[in-house]
Amino acid sequence: MRISPGALLVVIAVLVPFVVEFRTALSWFGVELSVLESVALAGVLVLGLLVWAMWPQNGGEMGSADSN
Amino acid sequence: MAMRNAYVDQFPSEARLISAAFWSSFLALAIGGSLGLVQALHRTDYLRFIDSVDYYTVLTAHGVLLAITFTIFFLVGIFTWAVTTSLDRGLEDLRFSWAWYAMMVVGTVLVGVSILGGVVDSIDMQADVLFTFYAPLQAHPAFYVGLVLFVVGTWLAGADWFRTWWAWRGENPDERIPLPTFMTLTTTLFWYLCTLGVALSILVLLLPWSMGIVDSVNPLLSRTLFWYFGHAVVYFWLMPAYMMWYIMLPKLSGGKLFSDPLARVVFVLFLLLSTPTGIHHQYLDPGIAEGYKFIAMTNTMFLLLPSLLTAFTVVASMEHGARQRGGTGYLGWLKALPWRDPVFTGMALAGLMFAAAGFSGMINAGMNINYLVHNTWWIVGHFHLTVGTAVALTFMAAAYWFVPQVTGKQLWNRSLALGQVLLWFVGMTFMSNAMHRSGLFGMPRRTAEPQYQGFNFEPAAGTVGEINAQVALGAALLTIALALFLLNMVMTTIGGESDAIPDNTYAGTLSGPEDAPVVLDNLKLWTAIATVLVVFAYTLPLASIIDAGGLFGPGIEGFQLTIGIDPAIVLESVREVMP
Amino acid sequence: MNIHTYEKVWLAAAMVLIVGFIATITYGAVGPGIAMIDDEAGSIDPAEINDDERFAEPGVEHVGGNEYEVTVVAQAWSYSPAEIEVPANSEVTFYVTSRDVTHSFSVVGTNVNTMVIPGQVSEMTVQFDEPGEYGILCNEYCGEYHHTMEGKLNVVPEDEFDLTELSVEAPDEVDAGNETTITANVSNGMQEDLETTATLEIGEQQSERDVTVAGDSTEQVEFTVDTADLGEGDHDWTVTVDDYEESGTLSVVADDGNASADGGDGDA
Ligand code: HEM
Ligand SMILES: [Cu+2]
Ligand SMILES: [Cu+2]
Repeated sequence: MRISPGALLVVIAVLVPFVVEFRTALSWFGVELSVLESVALAGVLVLGLLVWAMWPQNGGEMGSADSN
Repeated sequence: MAMRNAYVDQFPSEARLISAAFWSSFLALAIGGSLGLVQALHRTDYLRFIDSVDYYTVLTAHGVLLAITFTIFFLVGIFTWAVTTSLDRGLEDLRFSWAWYAMMVVGTVLVGVSILGGVVDSIDMQADVLFTFYAPLQAHPAFYVGLVLFVVGTWLAGADWFRTWWAWRGENPDERIPLPTFMTLTTTLFWYLCTLGVALSILVLLLPWSMGIVDSVNPLLSRTLFWYFGHAVVYFWLMPAYMMWYIMLPKLSGGKLFSDPLARVVFVLFLLLSTPTGIHHQYLDPGIAEGYKFIAMTNTMFLLLPSLLTAFTVVASMEHGARQRGGTGYLGWLKALPWRDPVFTGMALAGLMFAAAGFSGMINAGMNINYLVHNTWWIVGHFHLTVGTAVALTFMAAAYWFVPQVTGKQLWNRSLALGQVLLWFVGMTFMSNAMHRSGLFGMPRRTAEPQYQGFNFEPAAGTVGEINAQVALGAALLTIALALFLLNMVMTTIGGESDAIPDNTYAGTLSGPEDAPVVLDNLKLWTAIATVLVVFAYTLPLASIIDAGGLFGPGIEGFQLTIGIDPAIVLESVREVMP
Repeated sequence: MNIHTYEKVWLAAAMVLIVGFIATITYGAVGPGIAMIDDEAGSIDPAEINDDERFAEPGVEHVGGNEYEVTVVAQAWSYSPAEIEVPANSEVTFYVTSRDVTHSFSVVGTNVNTMVIPGQVSEMTVQFDEPGEYGILCNEYCGEYHHTMEGKLNVVPEDEFDLTELSVEAPDEVDAGNETTITANVSNGMQEDLETTATLEIGEQQSERDVTVAGDSTEQVEFTVDTADLGEGDHDWTVTVDDYEESGTLSVVADDGNASADGGDGDA
């Protein structure tokens, strides 16, 4: 673990306003994400975060390969 | 529990008073918050189990219980803790202290019962006037009496803190005022200054009028006096949260407050500028000349300064703490902060949301842009970030530290507490973002059914349905977070005493009071300047309002457009008088 | 007092930001002449609204050129008039007051938004460039049915806009053999002359009169109807002026006969 589970939880929570506001901001440029797409985006981000957090500190052998 | 040195060990009687104040506050939060969910579901048409006409009774209760009762009961608890802890002496006379607490309770009960009368037939009262009670909507006299009692209770609480400080000063004539006490006293001073406005409005205009002693009211005058108080009150809620960010957050981060002198400067600025800004809530009011609105706007913009300074000091103190804990790097230090601690995380997230609220606040403050958002749901989104999160979430997080301090009992479940503050943060993100966005296309606030016959709202992006869903989702998450908070508080209180309560301390400073010019502690001077600023900002507008409409207005009687009027009959009678 | 360098920089930046805000807003408010709601329009006694020069007959008035005045009275829980029509390319000054409690007059999704406080008159001037339809709503709580308080603002293309009114005076019945008159009152609320044609259709017949109505006045157009051409019985008539029409029924009865009761609704 690179960060504590508590900190990980906090990062995930703070991610929510970023995704929500990102979606709002994109809509001003005419790009409208559907709810599903936004949830998917958030899912990908959280997954990436988890992979990063779980990755062994000093370049271990391999991580889980189930990314989208 | 030999070595324990919690607040309850130092000041057992004061601890009981503070506990009582906290519980009064939590009770208001429990009721008010649940009503919030009712409102959110009703407006968005997900679930309507009350009549739309009763929506406004619910909304009055939500506004009063949360904005006034919840916040101020918590505040008197924190300030009592701050004064006694930092002066290291108890209150002068606990009987007096319980008296002001009792007065606040009686006031709240009177207000609560008169509001409840709006939905309970057996109570022959009503106060469906929302927490702003704009005349000529008229409430039962008990509502106004209750408000006055509550406010006078807070005045006496302020007197209590001053008394304690005077007694301390007698024994320590050459010492600087300790920072927490300094914060309490400056806040109390502007509270005296601003509550004078509502007190006058209620005692001279509204109460006699609701009792039929005078038969007319000047709506613009009472409204202006309300906002004379109404902006300062938002800083009254905010100051205890600021106090927590200044004196608790640095300690929780593992370090010290960056600068005591600047903290003093910030609180002095709030004392000076909180009140002469109220007219910024009246940018859209007729009967007030543009120049006065402009003065209010300028003062408002300068009020950004103390908040920006606070942002700096708080972040710098947190960084200092993180580096003490071994944090390194430009942003890497963030990782070294105690994110598993719900007290720290709750306050930090509350601060983050307050920064976001600062942006929507700047929009509100602009005289011209305000026309787009005034009285829309944008505003409601804004103040759920400020009072509904910056203040409320800081208070909840603080409670996780304070309740063990004043009860001697350990927090029931720390992980649950962490989950709770995160859930509140996420819930508020959804609700507030949707409220802001719907304000931009004109969705009004304070409206039971914002669905109209003759037109549809046209969101710039997304759909009304999607925005409603987001509000309902956010409100549901918030309500769950609220329930978890209360659960934790109840379980903590009914739990057993614990030896593992940390000592009652607050943050030290890197640059201490010895660096602060002595003049900063001259409360008389700052009060005098604050008074002069208020006189400048308000004398002329009030004079011209009274000049144009008279002290009691041109024969404007009270309206209770609420009790059992059939709209058809009202419309009929309205049509009769219509040309 | 000892202030950290970074803090000094931050302080300076904060001041620049604040002064910058004030400057832009001042420019925005004073520059392009956007007027704020203020105390210009004065105060009013709500009890006297029906006798007030401005508010006794709320509605749209032409001031001259492309300038219009719209007066609106707000009351629980409606606006009068409930529907407002103004032309595109116009400059419209709204005057709004309240008969009872505080309301708002808010044109949805625009910055046309004002509080409406009893005892006060809100004045605001708005430029309407394009045609469009807007909702109006009250966004200040004004009692139990506050959520039902709404109105409509239609900005119509310039050439579809007028302030013409038509009212017709006609008898319900007339004895066979007599002549009678149907009178059309054409009033013109605009300040310019109105040149138009009034048309009466009755039975199989149709007659037209050209009429010029001076600004802010009313003209009478009289159509003479000869019952001999119509014959006995009920005859439907319609008077048309531009897009306005009014109709009724004229009964031609035998000289000696009695009045029939179903004589139509005459003039309104
Ligand atoms: C469970 C959490 C909460 C929910 C679901 C919630 C929901 C709402 C909703 C939907 C409204 C808008 C009503 C309308 O405009 O028609 C509202 C108004 C308001 N809320 Fe909350 N709220 C919550 C917590 C809070 C908190 C913690 C505070 C303050 C400490 C607060 C203060 C207010 C105030 C002052 C109003 C305005 C009342 C008025 O317009 O008269 N709310 N709330
Ligand atoms: Cu304000
Ligand atoms: Cu209303």
